[in-house]
Amino acid sequence: MPGFHYFEPILIFTLLNVTMALGLYITALSGQLSMATAAIAGVGAYASAILTAKWGWPFLSGILFAAVIGAAVGALLALVTLRMRDFILKLTTLAFGEALSVLAFNWEYIGGANSFTGITLYTNWAPCVVAALLALYVAWRFDGSRLGFAARAVRDDPLAAGAMGVSLVQVRVVTFALGSALVGIGGALQAHYLLVISPHELGFFVSLNFIIFLLFGGLQTLWGPVFGATLLTALPELLRFTSQYRLILYGLIIVVVVLVRPEGLLTRTPTGRARRLFGRTLLPERPVGVVPERPADRPLPLGLMQRGAER
Amino acid sequence: MGLLLQQIANGLIIGSTYAVVALGFSLAFTVLRVINFAHPDIFMVGMFAGLVFALPGPWGLLVALAAGMLGAAAVGWALERTVISPLRGRDVLMTLIGTLGVAIMLENGMALIVGPDPVSYPNLVPRQFVDVGPVTLTLRQVVNFAICLMLLALVSFYVRATKFGRATRAIAERPDVAAAFGVDVGLVCQVTIVIASAMAGVAAVSVGALYGSAHAFVGLLYGLKAFTCMLVAGDRYFEGVMVVALGLGIIEALVTGYLSSSLRDAVAFFVLIGVLLFRPNGLFGSYAA
Repeated sequence: MPGFHYFEPILIFTLLNVTMALGLYITALSGQLSMATAAIAGVGAYASAILTAKWGWPFLSGILFAAVIGAAVGALLALVTLRMRDFILKLTTLAFGEALSVLAFNWEYIGGANSFTGITLYTNWAPCVVAALLALYVAWRFDGSRLGFAARAVRDDPLAAGAMGVSLVQVRVVTFALGSALVGIGGALQAHYLLVISPHELGFFVSLNFIIFLLFGGLQTLWGPVFGATLLTALPELLRFTSQYRLILYGLIIVVVVLVRPEGLLTRTPTGRARRLFGRTLLPERPVGVVPERPADRPLPLGLMQRGAER
Repeated sequence: MGLLLQQIANGLIIGSTYAVVALGFSLAFTVLRVINFAHPDIFMVGMFAGLVFALPGPWGLLVALAAGMLGAAAVGWALERTVISPLRGRDVLMTLIGTLGVAIMLENGMALIVGPDPVSYPNLVPRQFVDVGPVTLTLRQVVNFAICLMLLALVSFYVRATKFGRATRAIAERPDVAAAFGVDVGLVCQVTIVIASAMAGVAAVSVGALYGSAHAFVGLLYGLKAFTCMLVAGDRYFEGVMVVALGLGIIEALVTGYLSSSLRDAVAFFVLIGVLLFRPNGLFGSYAA
């Protein structure tokens, strides 16, 4: 039986992927399924690496700065893509990520094509647990908040949401920035574990992994991304006994899930045994029609909530 | 001046292979509304199918081209039946993920058979140089260019002048109305994917012969380029995709020649960002608008 030495890297990558998948979940909840996750993680990673390795800042401030700059990049992307249709928005984030990757490739100060090296090792399992728990808490609070409802309303029907007084600009910018801050933290922690950042890691195919986590696990509840990221990060390791066939199996599993469970593995309405265990819905969504006493807690107008609840 | 013309010629030759792959991509997207990320790997399968049946002798090239075409078409048809057909009508991103799963399987499956390293390709076209005016090309480049142009012309003819081609364009515009007018949508979808795959297979063999090597992961490079070409052009005119792909090849060759080769792959994405910002439906327009 292999010891903790063997499992620590798997644990760390799983926790970091959960953190970043939750960041993407928050962003995607307002209808902006970003294809630049890896690029934002990379910006956080480069930022923290430059600060700690070149300017001698302490680890914690590097991570915090990664969150701030991640949020800034996210807000910028949200502003640029504000008026775009769904499909074009995804493609613009894709192109943005690739462009950042190329920029990193040609910028000598951050290592260029030779990758950024000389980062100090700070990350072990503890900060990753903290980051994952933070992400989980933020996503959980976000889900039931005014902003969370506004985000779903914007996703389902921007026009109706706008007519009901939800600010499209505010919701999109804030959700993108919040999600990207978590992604930045994840990227920075990963850089301090791998000790090298290569421009290739900012590209489309790495970003696509996070989208696969979300769609695989399901986008309806925050447990979907958590489950998807955990399973798909650990899966290649769990499949290691099949050695050379494991990547083929990985592809096969993705295809089968997409074909058989198009809503993702975890949906809001459980079936079979899970239904008896967890009741009819997985997430404590506020019951429709119950208006809280305090105005601050009052959710958005009922029309919008019912639309969201049907999904 | 000599260098400029030489680079433009090189760019046109690269661009013509992009055009063939991008056109297959674009056919699948326009007709089925499926982003077929397995398409570049069908290209790869065609390349290896041609390699297996490459015979020495004067007919070697033709046999290899036919083998590449049949191999790729067979895989494309199987893919259409098992994965793409059930994915039709789903969210575009789900089709991307599903076909990407197939791509992962095809790539790693092939890497298991032939190994992860590039494999040398048989000499299907003799090594010799051809002077075209001020430009010097290899015979392989000329053959590759000729094959790709022929494929593009054939597809253009198919889409514009045959009964199936008209049905293809009708489905691209309004699948429901096309079905109401008696078009067998399922059949046309199958035919479209098979044609796109067969075309990719032929181009793959000629690209293999051009570079003299085949690689299980060759699809990655072509995938993103083809995707970009399709988006930049928009999906209303297939000819638009060809023009954009040829243009991209030329621009890349010029960047390589005059600036730096590491900036080469950036060009496509800067063009894409510019086009998405100012003409989000592509240079030549889209049906979805």
